[in-house]
Amino acid sequence: MSETSLGAPFAARARGALKDAYLQEALGIATTKFIGLRRESFEDFPQGDALRDRARAIKEATLQQLDRHLERLADNIERLGGRVHWAATGDEARDIILRLCRDKGVRMAVKSKSMATEEIELNEALEHAGVKPVETDLGEYIIQLAHEKPSHIIAPAIHKTKGQVADLFSKELGGRFEADPEVLTKVARAELRQKFLEADMGITGANFAVAETGTVVLVTNEGNGRMVTSLPRIHVAVMGMEKVIPSMTDLMVFLAILARSATGQKLSSYTTLVRGPRQPGEMEGPEEFHLILMDNGRTRQIAGTLREALYCLRCGACLNVCPVYRQIGGHAYGHTYPGPIGILLTAMLKGAPSVKELAHASSLCGACKDVCPVRIDIPRMLVELRDHLDTKKIAPWTERLLFGMARRMMMRPSWFRRGASVARLAQKPFARAGRLRALPLFFGKWTATRDLPAVAEKTFSERWQELRRP
Amino acid sequence: MITCLGDMFFPEVGVAMVRLLRRLGVDVEFPPGQTCCGMPLFNSGYHADARAVAARTVKLFADAGHVVVPSGSCAWMVKAEYPGLLADDPALHAEARALAARTYELSQFLVEVLKVSGVGSTFSGTLTYHDSCHLLRGLGESRAPRTLLRSLEHGELVELPGSDECCGFGGSFSVRLPEVSTAILDKKLASVEATGADCLVACDAGCLMQMGGGLSRRGSRVRALHLAQVLAPEGPP
Amino acid sequence: MTTRASFLEDIRREMAKTRGLFEASTSPRPAAPQEAAEAVRRQMLERWPQALERFREEFERVAGVFHRVPSLEAVPALIGEIARARQARRILSWSPEALGVDLGARLGGEGFVVTSAQDADPREGERRRHREEAAAAEIGVTGADWALGETGTLILVSGRGRPRSTSLLPATHVAVFGAPQLLESLEQVGIMLEALHADPSGTMSGAVINFITGPSRTADIELTLTRGVHGPKDVHAVFVEGR
Repeated sequence: MSETSLGAPFAARARGALKDAYLQEALGIATTKFIGLRRESFEDFPQGDALRDRARAIKEATLQQLDRHLERLADNIERLGGRVHWAATGDEARDIILRLCRDKGVRMAVKSKSMATEEIELNEALEHAGVKPVETDLGEYIIQLAHEKPSHIIAPAIHKTKGQVADLFSKELGGRFEADPEVLTKVARAELRQKFLEADMGITGANFAVAETGTVVLVTNEGNGRMVTSLPRIHVAVMGMEKVIPSMTDLMVFLAILARSATGQKLSSYTTLVRGPRQPGEMEGPEEFHLILMDNGRTRQIAGTLREALYCLRCGACLNVCPVYRQIGGHAYGHTYPGPIGILLTAMLKGAPSVKELAHASSLCGACKDVCPVRIDIPRMLVELRDHLDTKKIAPWTERLLFGMARRMMMRPSWFRRGASVARLAQKPFARAGRLRALPLFFGKWTATRDLPAVAEKTFSERWQELRRP
Repeated sequence: MITCLGDMFFPEVGVAMVRLLRRLGVDVEFPPGQTCCGMPLFNSGYHADARAVAARTVKLFADAGHVVVPSGSCAWMVKAEYPGLLADDPALHAEARALAARTYELSQFLVEVLKVSGVGSTFSGTLTYHDSCHLLRGLGESRAPRTLLRSLEHGELVELPGSDECCGFGGSFSVRLPEVSTAILDKKLASVEATGADCLVACDAGCLMQMGGGLSRRGSRVRALHLAQVLAPEGPP
Repeated sequence: MTTRASFLEDIRREMAKTRGLFEASTSPRPAAPQEAAEAVRRQMLERWPQALERFREEFERVAGVFHRVPSLEAVPALIGEIARARQARRILSWSPEALGVDLGARLGGEGFVVTSAQDADPREGERRRHREEAAAAEIGVTGADWALGETGTLILVSGRGRPRSTSLLPATHVAVFGAPQLLESLEQVGIMLEALHADPSGTMSGAVINFITGPSRTADIELTLTRGVHGPKDVHAVFVEGR
């Protein structure tokens, strides 16, 4: 166990986050606010629970016929004049986009917030290829200017103060801006308005894709999703293939609970349903529409232990309630997707060994499962990941040794008693008034910050003789 | 079922529980040879080992009537996880399911089986209650403990803001990521102290170890007690 | 390069290994969508006053500004008022055909610059010109295909005479609708959308449907709510009686 908490990269990052006073304050305020908003929204919504059950069922049912739905989706998109690309890996998805940029002479692309494009690290690739990617979601715009990664699935710049944003804008855009969110928003609006109007390509993700109609659905609040899909001449949507849903009727079930789960809104400011490129007679809209369906590790989980994680709507509710996320924030996780679902998604995309430390970044409290709109049993899958990591001997040998000893004590009462006697003896130098305050070695991890009760003079089992009645 | 932490660190909780149950006319037995329910093994992913412990425990309690546990997480382990762990052996699986059906966390046993909403005990001072994760979310129980605490004469129950938030114990999590565990604990204890309560009550030994250990380290006057200790603080067992 | 066939083959191979986690089905869809839509319309003939009440409540809750006028004739004057209150002169509008009223004809003479969309196919250069006008406009006036009471949402289908940016680029958006547009629940919206897509030839000439619930907003900086990030800062809904 020492390996998991002494100097290992994740543990070190977590410790760093704990020492960041502003981050601690920001995280506390933001997560508490989101929790309250979500709670109020569902309290006011008696159908909520039934809708969550429905949403979960729709996701499962869709997976059971996934190939058919994807075919229907693709056929419809093509019928409407769009193009569908099939990317088995993130690398392929990136290459498809780069090739499109080359072929179509794209110099600048405006992006609406998309975790799928973060997942494949698209921006770096675009810049490298001489295409300027411009993030237009305010939070993403901020972190792009700051050369950082998002720290929360739906509020990417939650870790930045308004002072930091003002300094950032002043430095990167030239000028001196007040640390006032209204002012800063206006600045971003003006900067980005020009970009929307000049960009050659708009890149988005997709919250859902409706197979029956060939519709890609974007759920946003700022309006950038609409700009990006209407103004540039090419629209590219990148989507994990698990986001497909069968029908418009199904879509309504998800719309009813998604914004509530994410921000406590009944609906986000804009829900945009896009069917392919502009139609004849339309004054505006892209000439070309491309949907990139991406696998990148998802298919492997259809019959895998992480299948349920494929239901995820990327609402961020689990992050907000997670006691670990609330203390360390998103960057400490070190991967594209943070928080409880992030650990599972990382295992899905990069393999179980990539989360050998993160799989333990959870007290298994279950708050995530409680708030998940599609009731994903995250704690169960974390425990199964841990099982996988142990059976494959990925956990450190010192840990396996300790747990081997624990097992022995649990299987044999004589060993259990022996363990208690040994502990009673060993603790004598450290015990004061029934408490242990400073223990050496591994036990110091507890006593550094907490007292430990001393092992009792007589265990309950040893006292039973006097307690029992004939 | 005494639980491993109860046996080694909090025998007084077990004694209080026996006292309490006998006062309510219950015949208490203690099958010898108890060690642990195996949850630490299970949660850390040693499932084959956890399975072996589950099989042993099921046999140990084969003849018990109602099995009462002073710990939400251990009761949860038996009720929610044992059947699945033993699914490969039809006979053991059936026994596990039977055991699950007759296993109760203490407050649930009192309120649902014995149908008592008060035990006629006195307590002077204010109390505040922490909802342990496995009792709250695993077993869906938040009312029984509060019902029992409210029945105390002279005692006043103050709601703990964020009572449903984890205390940071999480078993081995508390030593794998001790700084994070402590940060979570500090937040919890700040809420506890802000209530002004004299006593913090919980139904789980792990939570009590964590929260009690934190309170004692900071020299707080708040005492961390198990529900059983509050309901049956003294007298012959 | 991955092909559709190989991508789907991979999926099928994995699907064959499992029956899934539990028995589940997708939502039952209306067997005859047009009839179901007709049934909703008939229902709403009775219930539109309640839906309107609810719409107003929810719309105002998301900072929308609600107006009520006795007829379409009264709309231009109201638009004029809204514009004057903002010291705005440039008005962008759906085509008179799509909107039901010709704003240019009515407001052009009062010192406003009104650009109305056209229904004909855009010709060379017209797209660029329209974009410039849309970018410069201060008020955007549209109709609405539906107004949803449950959430205070305006639903707009794009198409001929109904450019997308009219409700997006100008800082103020005004949507005009009547009783026939009112719906009560998301479920009803689902039925209408099923019907719409089942027969797109007659009714959908555009590729985008926008659900608009209040103004553009963000809380990305310190969770402080600000409006008018990229889309409109103000949204007005004008209910026209007697339609």
